[in-house]
Amino acid sequence: MNWLARLFGAKPELTPEQAERLAAWKALPAPDLNAPHAASRYVVVDVETSGLNLVKDRLIAIGAVAVLGGRQIQLADSMEIILQQRRVSGHDNILIHGIGGTAQSEGIPPVDALLTFLEYLGKSPLVAFHVAFDQTMIDRALKTFLGLKFKHSWADLAYIAPALYPELARSHRSLDQWMSRFGLGNYARHSALADALSTAELMLALRERMDTKQVDSFKAMRDLDKAQRMVNWTG
Amino acid sequence: MSVPNSLILATVDHLARFAPFDCMEREHLVWLAERLKLAYYAKGETLLGPDSGPVKTFYIIKQGVINGEQDVVRAQDDASWLELHEGECFPLGALLSKRGVASTYRAGHDTFCFELAADDFRVLLRTSDAFHDFCTRRIANLLEQSKQALQAQYAKSSSDQQSMSSTLQTLIRREPVTCAPETSLREVLETMHKLGIGSMVAVDENKKPVGIFTLHDVLSRVALAEVSLDVPFNSVMSPNPRTLPPHALAHDAALVMAKQGFRHILVEEDGQLKGLISEKDLFSLQRVGLRQISGAIRNAEQLDTLIHSAKDIRQLAHNMLAQGVAAEQLTQIISTLNDLLTTRILELELRNDPAARDVEFCWLALGSEGRLEQTLNTDQDNGIIFATETDDDNEAIRAVLLPFARRVNLALAECGFPLCNGEVMASNPKWCLSLQEWKNTFANWIDRGDPMALLYSTIFFDFRPLYGADCLAFDLREWLRGAAKKNSRFLHQMAANALRNSPPSGSVWDFFTGKGNILDLKLNGITPFVDAARIFSLAVGGKQTNTLQRMREITGPLHVDPQDAEAWADAFLFIQLLRLQLHHEQCERDEPLTNKVDPDSFNNLDKRILKEAFRQARKLQTKLTVDYQL
Repeated sequence: MNWLARLFGAKPELTPEQAERLAAWKALPAPDLNAPHAASRYVVVDVETSGLNLVKDRLIAIGAVAVLGGRQIQLADSMEIILQQRRVSGHDNILIHGIGGTAQSEGIPPVDALLTFLEYLGKSPLVAFHVAFDQTMIDRALKTFLGLKFKHSWADLAYIAPALYPELARSHRSLDQWMSRFGLGNYARHSALADALSTAELMLALRERMDTKQVDSFKAMRDLDKAQRMVNWTG
Repeated sequence: MSVPNSLILATVDHLARFAPFDCMEREHLVWLAERLKLAYYAKGETLLGPDSGPVKTFYIIKQGVINGEQDVVRAQDDASWLELHEGECFPLGALLSKRGVASTYRAGHDTFCFELAADDFRVLLRTSDAFHDFCTRRIANLLEQSKQALQAQYAKSSSDQQSMSSTLQTLIRREPVTCAPETSLREVLETMHKLGIGSMVAVDENKKPVGIFTLHDVLSRVALAEVSLDVPFNSVMSPNPRTLPPHALAHDAALVMAKQGFRHILVEEDGQLKGLISEKDLFSLQRVGLRQISGAIRNAEQLDTLIHSAKDIRQLAHNMLAQGVAAEQLTQIISTLNDLLTTRILELELRNDPAARDVEFCWLALGSEGRLEQTLNTDQDNGIIFATETDDDNEAIRAVLLPFARRVNLALAECGFPLCNGEVMASNPKWCLSLQEWKNTFANWIDRGDPMALLYSTIFFDFRPLYGADCLAFDLREWLRGAAKKNSRFLHQMAANALRNSPPSGSVWDFFTGKGNILDLKLNGITPFVDAARIFSLAVGGKQTNTLQRMREITGPLHVDPQDAEAWADAFLFIQLLRLQLHHEQCERDEPLTNKVDPDSFNNLDKRILKEAFRQARKLQTKLTVDYQL
């Protein structure tokens, strides 16, 4: 149950109780991605890591906020976990996310933290801004600590937003730019939960265009996401 | 959730920036935040409307603007236009009464709202006293907070709280002038002469005061003692001067001076000289008490003294603002002192005018003075009513009274009450009339109802006797009570006229976004209340001229909900307070006094109350519309 374990292909060891929790999560029914927004729960996530290197760096924190019915954020339906770290991340990195060495080493042991995340998530589809990063980090942590192949549905606002607002596609790239376009605040930028909230607010603000363009389900969001990636490749 | 996460805590912090959440206990705020949903409304989207049925949600604006639009067909109770901003909540009335809303609430910009289910809203009402208080006593509560903020602000300003309980620290006027103890006496005297100061303090190299020398000492220690001006200063100064710490009170300093016969007290902190307080500094404090001012006015023998008293009245008004005296009392005190001042001027002028003394007349206060609502910038509005055997004598009497009235008007102008631009003054032959002439004039206005007549009515119908034969004014008032009430066409015309001046409404937001807009606190704020109260009062045959008393006077006869009347009064007083504050600030900066203000200069709280006050003004106007079918 350490970093080397992955190299040797060893299965992480879970306590019977932990294994039971994981099994219970696996047994949950898959969501209907064609369901209208009104009947759906999406979970918007943001992660903080020890750095920007997808291969080397580790997951430090996950922040998550649920969007209900495509229209509302229930503040209490939110989550923030800090994974206990063997090694505290570098000084410069701490300055970015503000999770100090003590908080890092006092976090929740990774297995329990990730189980808590899964239980919070259920099988709700995930949304993020620049999915590739969040997805890679979460996938790997789940594989390492829970031995779970996490094959979840993700939608990426970094592609959906420009698809809905083609006139802004060239000038708006970062989350900050989209936030400022919609006048969104952030109570603590680079804290996983605050960034997840801003991303969720962005999703609410995009709803008007989604309605007019009939992007009315998670599936439709995914399609838009994919189509925009093509535009970016070809354009 | 046992431990609230950072999102809940950040929400609590966000809410705590606004009333009433800033007064609520943290545990209640956490409880609230954990039950809030955050929703987004694009510009133009409707949140709530009269058709939505009983309200199920309590909204708190996180960011953006929500407009409340009146459904014209249903215009009734809440017939006003609302504009709500960050931190404001709605719809309180509908939630409390478990009914639907009368207005349509629509997003004016892209807006995020926190939303609480109605059931949770009711739980919060029961558990949080601060929240309950706010919801049920909205305007009263905001006013209270504004008053506290105002007091805090004045407590900080440098010329504040001029009373014997102020600390010495606040009384120090300038850096003390000092010299080294070895300086020659000649040099010291030259410096004192050049700077026009009455004393010099010697300090050592650590700025510790070691001696003091005053002009008073020149006589005994220098001139009579025939001391050479070349001696060092320390040979003539009084060594080891008496010092007090900066936090000592003016009262303490006065006591030391009185007991020990000193004229100066040094203020010392940590062994260093901080300043000097003279006997004169303390006396100027005492002069501006209510009793002192009225005493000075009563005993004044010359105009100069009265000019000084007029200044003191302004200073007193400032002190009282600082102490949080309510606008109602404050304007009444200002009016009372101004009455006293005018009375004294009249007495002094009558002394030198035996002919005028022989006439039975009454000096009338008109306009805001008649309503006892004077602020610091009030020009003169006055008139004379005199008694006659027959109207044949009128011209002869006027010939006696007019020059007298002219002198009084000029004296008042010297005291800071500018001559009236519209010549509404007793020295104008049109407004120096016999009782019968006044009745004829009034009757003519009531009958004509043209714009000029209506304008004059708004000034003259607020008349009040200030000096002389009160019975003449009472007689005129009795007559007017009957005459105005009978003529419903005239009241209708007055109402239509009053409605032409509507308080800021649809474009309120423009007033508050610094687009170079100027708000006139008198015209936009005070006048709608004054006008409506006058019309209702005339309609019920009321006797009062004061706007607040008129509002109280009409509640019974017109079946006004006392709570509504109270809300009007609060709103009116709040705007008055803002005016007084504005005038005071202009005084401090030596600027001409106006009622015009940049709405951006108000703090958030005042902006909100001001908006609420305007809403009350519109409600009052709606009542005019309904009562007179306009």
